[in-house]
This record gives sequence, structure tokens and C-alpha cells, in this order.
Amino acid sequence: MRLEPIAIAGIGETRPVRRSEKGLRALVVEAIEAALADAGLDPSDVDGVVSDGLVMPSTVPRDWVAAQFGFARDYDGGMSFGGAASASAPIHAQLAIGSGLARTLVYYFGVDWGTRASGPYGFHDLYAAKAAFEKPYGFVGQPQYFALWARRYMHQYGLSERDLATIAVTQRRSALLNPLSQATRPLSYEDYFAARMVSEPLRVPDCCLITDGACAFVMTSLERARDLAKAPVRVLGVGFGSEPITGDDVFTQPGGMMRIPGARQAADKALRQAGVTLADVDFAEVYDCFTISCLLQLEEIGFCKRGEGADFIREKGIGIDGGLPVNTHGGLLSHSYLLGVEHVIEAVRQLRGAAGRAQVRDAEIGLVGGLSNPDYGVMILGRDRR
Amino acid sequence: MTTSTTEFPPEFAGFHENARAKRLAFPFCRPCGRFHWYPMPRCPACRGREIEWRPVSGKAEVFSFTRVQHPFDKARTEALPYIVALLTFADAPGVRFVTNIVGDRLDEVKIGQAVEARFTADRNGEPLVVFSVA
Repeated sequence: MRLEPIAIAGIGETRPVRRSEKGLRALVVEAIEAALADAGLDPSDVDGVVSDGLVMPSTVPRDWVAAQFGFARDYDGGMSFGGAASASAPIHAQLAIGSGLARTLVYYFGVDWGTRASGPYGFHDLYAAKAAFEKPYGFVGQPQYFALWARRYMHQYGLSERDLATIAVTQRRSALLNPLSQATRPLSYEDYFAARMVSEPLRVPDCCLITDGACAFVMTSLERARDLAKAPVRVLGVGFGSEPITGDDVFTQPGGMMRIPGARQAADKALRQAGVTLADVDFAEVYDCFTISCLLQLEEIGFCKRGEGADFIREKGIGIDGGLPVNTHGGLLSHSYLLGVEHVIEAVRQLRGAAGRAQVRDAEIGLVGGLSNPDYGVMILGRDRR
Repeated sequence: MTTSTTEFPPEFAGFHENARAKRLAFPFCRPCGRFHWYPMPRCPACRGREIEWRPVSGKAEVFSFTRVQHPFDKARTEALPYIVALLTFADAPGVRFVTNIVGDRLDEVKIGQAVEARFTADRNGEPLVVFSVA
């Protein structure tokens, strides 16, 4: 099958905040309005609506969004959830536009986990085994899951706390160059080591922020995007990968723990489609829910070998001027925690050359990696070179 | 929030029944001869359905652990910090069990540390299997 060349033609985001008075549905509307305005499109131009398959259907369903804008839904879709869904969203565009079902798709995602009483932990109530065999022992949330990973990884590969600090400190530096970042204070190594321990060995700066906010982006054919308001950013390749292991098991059991099932699969598919290698990637926006998970994804995607993540980060450099700038907006750790949809927005901004003080020089190709254990999505975006 | 064991899927019941009788048991697939965890209707290795609960000795080793310092669970605020550990079992390969390590030798907890099971119950009388340094 010949794949229809796809582009991202418009992006929209709300200002991420710890708590918003506006309500999640209003935030999603605001983000979509901004994305359409950015593309120079009218709601009547949209004929496909896409979101993730789990979080949005129970909070801001697609039919509700369509009704707010009067969108046609000749294509309607949601696959995977959270970060993997946002990073693999162009799969919908390739299918829908390639088959002639639709011409212009809006993707949206947002959370109100800052105001919602269950916060980011309520999500895991989906999994019965967690409720039966983990919660009774006070093992209830992501920082603890990844604390077990970090401790084991340190034991197996000799990772130090300072290696984790490097990720947090570097990304904070990048966040301070983005006007919308939730984190506004610098973070030194000293600050890092003085920070409160959450679940050893993870401290507050090892953990993502908590955010209310939403983002949206418009996908259409490259051909059509070239006639719209902004220079198109091409989807050079997109991939989705997973492993047949459940959300119950993936954090603790063999085959899941300390692995990011699906990352390599998704990256291989996206790179093959794009006809590029990781050496061609100028920057990466990687799902940094925790410092340790960011490091593991760099390994699993294939930027470096297993166990060499810390050396890679130290030697290569992941700051804006580094050998591989990672999370140039500050990421989930220091910009906002919208489960990675903001990584897509940032990648587009970089490839438009519109990232201001955080601009990666001569950025031509960017990689976005989105994690929702055991699922993974990878998008390779590129500047449109005609 | 505590969920009553009666709301869990039926394939979970064997764990709690055994724990009430002060036995630690894990699902064992008879056709392929492998343990798995968590309990599920079909063996994740061979997809077989002939699964039985096989008791183990209760002697385990620490695979990883974390000392929890943040009050994730409001009901546990007074117990902070507490240790959550992930254990492996020589007599149940393939199983990793989430538990607490309790007792008076918590400073000795490290990866590879030998621990042994102790049977207790939560506030609602539901059985818990915790461990102490052996």
C-alpha cells in the first residue's frame, strides 16, 4: 500500500497550569480553536476526529467535541491511550486520508489530573490485580513503580543518583527557555539532592509535574497542507508497538519491568517508513514521566545500548546545544504533564524554527516517543523541503 | 480505599483462601509446568486453562525495593516511611511478588536480601502476606 504523505498543519495548546478553573472540556475546545486558527482552517473543513482510546472517551468524548465545533466525522478513531496514542496519531491520518474517508483530521488530548481528586493514580484502578495485590501494600502509583525500576537498574548497570539528576537539571534549563513552562525556577544539582524524597531513589525532580491543560493538532495531506497558513511539518514516519502483557503485569513482572515493550518496534517502523536512521534525528521529545523512564527509552528506542543510557546522556549531551537535544521544552518533568501530546506540539514548533530561545539550530528531523506501558508510539517529523 | 476481595475476579480467590490458611501460593500451569503472576484465566506462556494454586515455602529474595516517603495513601500517612519490595522465589520461578518488608531489621534491606513470609491482615480482616528479613 502506498502511504499518503501526511503533514501537521496546525497546533494549539492551552497554558499548562497546576489547577485550572476552566474545566477540561473548555480547555480542549480552547486548544482545538487555537490549532484551527494556526492552520487557517474553519471547523467546516474538518471531517475526522481522533483522540486516544481510553482517557478522552470517558472525559471529553469525540461526539461532544464534534458537536461543539460542528465537525463532520467521516472518520472517527481512538487507539491505545495517553502518550502512545498521541505519538502514533498520524496512523489515523494515513489510513483515513489514504483511503479517501476524510481529508482533514483534528487530534486532541488533555487531562485535569491537577484538579481531579484521584489525580494521576485513579487511572490504575482499571487494573484488578493492582487493586487486589498491590494497593493493600501501599503500592499505588507511578513514582513507586518507577522507583523499583530505578533501584534495580542502579544495581544491574551502576546508574548513580547524579545520572538521574543530570536529566532533571538539563531539562529544567530547557524549560526556562519556554514561556509556557510550569516550572519557572532553576534547578541545580544541589537543589536536586536537597529535594524531598518521594519513593527512594526518586525525588520530587525525578517525577513529572501535575497539570491541567490540553493540546490539539491538525493533520491533512502534505499537498493540502502546503496551501494552508503555516509551513507544513511532514510526518516522515509513524509507528506503534506493543507487547502482549497486561497493564497489571507490565511494571513488575518479567518481560515488562525495566523494559519499554514496543519502543523498538515502534521506532523501527517509523524509521523504516521515513527512510532515515537515528543518526539523522536532530532532536527527540521522549516521554519523560520520570528521569529513569526517559533514560530507558533512549536505550530502548536505540539511541544507545542497554545499560549505557547514563554514559550516552553524559557524553552526548541532551541540552538544547547538546549532541541530541532531548525534551527541548522541558518535557513532562519541567514543562507540563499532558502525557506527551505537548511533545508533539514542541517538535512541530522546533521544525517550524519557531522555538525562540529554545530553538535547536538547523533542526530538520525530530523524533517524538510516547509511552503508555506496554504501548509505545513513535513519530518522525521533518521540515518540508520542496 | 480498600476493595473487598469479593469484588475481584474469581481467578484471584485462591490467593486469599491460601493466605487465610497461612500459606503463600501462586498459580501454576500443570500442562506447561510454569508459575505465573498475576492470576489470569489462561496461562500467559501456553494459554492453557488447567491452572492450580501451588503453595511455596515463603522464603524469598529481594529483587528491588523502595522506601516510600510520600503519602500516596492517606490512610498510611502515619506509617511513613514504609518499604515496598518486589520479591522472587527459588521455588516459584517467574513470579515477582509485591509486598511490604516489616520488622526491626529494615536497615538490612537490600537487593538480594533473603526474607521470609509473615501472615497478617488489613483493617478489614483481609489477608496480607508481608515479609521480614530472614
